[in-house]
Amino acid sequence: MPDKNTALVQGTLDMLILKTLALEPMHAHGIGLRIEQISQGVFQVNPGSLFPAFKRLERAGWVNSEWRATENNRRAKYYVLTASGRKQLKSETRDWKAQSVAIARILEA
Amino acid sequence: MNIFRHLKAGVRELVRRDKTESELSEELSAYVQSAADAKVQAGATREEALRSARLEMGGVESVKHQVRAVGWEFGLEVFAQDVRYGLRMLLKAPLFTAVAVTTIALGIGANTAMFSLVDAILLRPLPYPEPERLIVVGTHQRGESEMSPMGTADFLAWRDRQQSFEHVAIIDGAGGSFALSGMGTPERIPGVGVSANFFSIFGVAPLKGRGFNPGEDSPGVPGVAVISENFWRDHLNSDPEVLNRTLTLNGKQHAIVGVMPAGFRFPSRRAVDIWAIHTLNPPDGRPPYGLLALGRLKPGIGVRQAEAELDQIVAQVTTQYPSSPELDGVMMPMKEWMVSDFSTALLVLLGAIALLLLIAVVNVANLLLARATARQREVAVRMALGASRKRVVRQLLTESAVLSLLGGVTGLLLAWLAVRAFLAFGPGQMPRLNEVGINSGVLLFTFVVCVGSGILFGLAPAIESSRPSLTDPLKDTNRSSSSASAHRTHRALLVFEVALALLLMIGSGLLIRSFVRLSGVSPGVETGHVITAAISLPNKYADPPKIRQFWQQFLERVQSQPGVKTAGITMSLPPNLLEITNPFTVEGQGYDRHRQLQLAEEMTVSPDYFLALGIPLLKGRFFSPSDRVEGEKDPMIVIINETMAKQYFSGKDPIGSRIQTGDPDPSAPWETIVGVVGDVKYSGLDSGPGPTIYVPYNENAWAGWAREMYLVVRSTGNATDLVPAIRTQLAGMDSAIPLAQIRTMEELLDESIVQQRFRTWLISGFAALALLLSAIGLYALISYSVSQRTREIGVRVALGAQRSNVLGMVLREGMQLLVFGLLLGLVGALSVTRIIRSLLYSTSSTDALSFIVTSLTLIAVALLACYIPARRATKVDPMVALRYE
Repeated sequence: MPDKNTALVQGTLDMLILKTLALEPMHAHGIGLRIEQISQGVFQVNPGSLFPAFKRLERAGWVNSEWRATENNRRAKYYVLTASGRKQLKSETRDWKAQSVAIARILEA
Repeated sequence: MNIFRHLKAGVRELVRRDKTESELSEELSAYVQSAADAKVQAGATREEALRSARLEMGGVESVKHQVRAVGWEFGLEVFAQDVRYGLRMLLKAPLFTAVAVTTIALGIGANTAMFSLVDAILLRPLPYPEPERLIVVGTHQRGESEMSPMGTADFLAWRDRQQSFEHVAIIDGAGGSFALSGMGTPERIPGVGVSANFFSIFGVAPLKGRGFNPGEDSPGVPGVAVISENFWRDHLNSDPEVLNRTLTLNGKQHAIVGVMPAGFRFPSRRAVDIWAIHTLNPPDGRPPYGLLALGRLKPGIGVRQAEAELDQIVAQVTTQYPSSPELDGVMMPMKEWMVSDFSTALLVLLGAIALLLLIAVVNVANLLLARATARQREVAVRMALGASRKRVVRQLLTESAVLSLLGGVTGLLLAWLAVRAFLAFGPGQMPRLNEVGINSGVLLFTFVVCVGSGILFGLAPAIESSRPSLTDPLKDTNRSSSSASAHRTHRALLVFEVALALLLMIGSGLLIRSFVRLSGVSPGVETGHVITAAISLPNKYADPPKIRQFWQQFLERVQSQPGVKTAGITMSLPPNLLEITNPFTVEGQGYDRHRQLQLAEEMTVSPDYFLALGIPLLKGRFFSPSDRVEGEKDPMIVIINETMAKQYFSGKDPIGSRIQTGDPDPSAPWETIVGVVGDVKYSGLDSGPGPTIYVPYNENAWAGWAREMYLVVRSTGNATDLVPAIRTQLAGMDSAIPLAQIRTMEELLDESIVQQRFRTWLISGFAALALLLSAIGLYALISYSVSQRTREIGVRVALGAQRSNVLGMVLREGMQLLVFGLLLGLVGALSVTRIIRSLLYSTSSTDALSFIVTSLTLIAVALLACYIPARRATKVDPMVALRYE
């Protein structure tokens, strides 16, 4: 099943995941759900994109993972933002904002 | 980004793959459960919720695959997977694999072996510090191109006046060995006389002791010698006190002053065990020219500059000796001097062997193409299941790389064996053989060739079989149409292969023809029942009467042995053991010193030499023991050969005419011609006819030369049986004189053409292999084509086609390829055989007979290769063929 919004590029998804994790550690389904809810259904992230993204982020050292019990008493892998992940999120957010302001200016000009 | 962390994570994942995999599965199922939980909360039943959660997830395997593909280690895994798969496929077809690997192994092995020779001999720099500064120096007559040795006068003048070289020295060109006595049985040890600075030129430190000191080559200084590590070990038992010992070389005492390490061998065509000091006595005149000079250039000085300086010095020497010819200096980089004789032959061999590899590659490509057609279904299934074309090509190329690496490893083993065999049994007279081996450079070459040929033979089949035609192969009904383009590639490759094979065959045909001509050349002597040996008299035989007396008595003793027909001695032996050439002047010619010198092979011989070798007397008489040649006042006499009589005495009787020898000089003594004998080859079987002058051995002027002679004995029975008796007689004369280089005349002839024989054999071997490979290629193609057309043939036969029609139809296909291949090969050969012109003896590089015979051979073999499968086609039973579908 393809992403609803195919324009969601790789880097953006990574940023959204980092942002989601900035609030609290979360498991895969929770992260997907949270992105969908906050974007009010604009972004539906399917597992085929989500799980490779986790691996990328882990490899980059921006998130760690650990097995925990969920609210429904199931075992799930929780992802935790690391210090360097927090730094990365900050810089990506800054870049993103600068870029989107610039793009908006161009579009409105 | 932290590369190190990525590397670590990748490796960890590779090591604990099971754990990561199970964790991933667990995580994915947890995801489904969570998703289902959410749906249950939203009001769905548990069952429905699970079902829709799974649907949303898509294929679990596909997700896992995407996750795995994130890390760099994934590429490795895919590669390993491809290799495993490739190996499995190869194991499933053992016959195919064996044929392919053997073909590649032969090609790569032969190439590696040949390259290791070329690398050691031609490519690598000489094993001395800054080898580009090492120069070999000689002189030649103005206008000539070849380099000739120097005279002592020229060398001494150059040594004392030159400014371009750090060190200069000479090697004494005469001999090449020393008679070693005083250590049990006397024997000849390979060695050279060198002047004092010889070792300084090379900059190689002795293992023990020292090289020569400056001035040790001056007259009156006691003899010194440096020995090789091998000689020290084998003859002196690695005596630690070796520097306190002396050697008796040619009857003269030499103190051992140094031991050179085994790696030092110069001049290296043969082993050198002794470097004895060559005393540079002030010369009586400018000739003889017998010294090979060498030197190490000062840094920053060019060869041209040094050569100009040498020219100047040589010109000064010319004015010093007014009767001598005008000479120029010549210089040559040492490496070029060492290897130039061999470079053409080696490069031609390497080229031939590369062609052979190409043929092998084409054959394997064709094998793979045939297999690719058979595997189209498998490939189609993989592509239908979602493999990209790139992925399939990559997999197939990996498979051929595995194949070529298997072949390469086997080939390396073959190459190692071939190099050992070559060093043990090949022609030994090549420079730098001690440096030959399979080193890292050679390994790199093999690896590159391996991967290169893997890609070459893998690419066409891989592209062919990954052609995106999914439906046809899956239907499995109409097979011939889907493989039409593969078949076209297949046929084009085969035309190429036939052409290459023809090229190699024509090359070998030319070499064989040239070799047959060369070995059929008569040396001008009766070769059977003749034994020869080298004998050199030590320094104590100093004055002419002593030398004369020795030979006279020795020859009488040998002559009286049972089984001896005639015994004689000579300074030079056919077919290529010529010692010297000498200028000569015929009476009445005048003395123009600017005229090109006319040179004759000149040698001193005993009266019975001609009889012993069976050289025919054409006019006049042989020398006789009663010739009075012992005093200064006796008239000097000579015998000349037929060519000299024809060239210089045409129309008049040479008998009684007079000549002078040596540089043109009116005051030189006159020598009267008393006989004319048949031509004998002394400069190699491939040399043209030229003048030869024979002088009696007991002439005073030749006494110095007469100390190193060859004994020639004609026997009534088996010539080699005489060796013990000859040895006993020699020991009876003087127990310090060794009997060396014992050979029959047949052996001498054989040895003189060993290089030519070897390369002819080698190239012919390659050509035979090429023929075999292309025959196999043709056979495989036609068999394959017949099997593809079984149904068609069946229909034709059912419709009334005769056996002969079918035979013709199949043969026609083969013939087409053959004709194209032949044409291509002939065109190629006409433009390429020029390269080997310098290796051919009296054979044109476009020799018609060689071209025709080899083409016919190829046609015959190719016809046979096509006929066997074609005959099988005629046996096709229409009923079976039609039911076959």
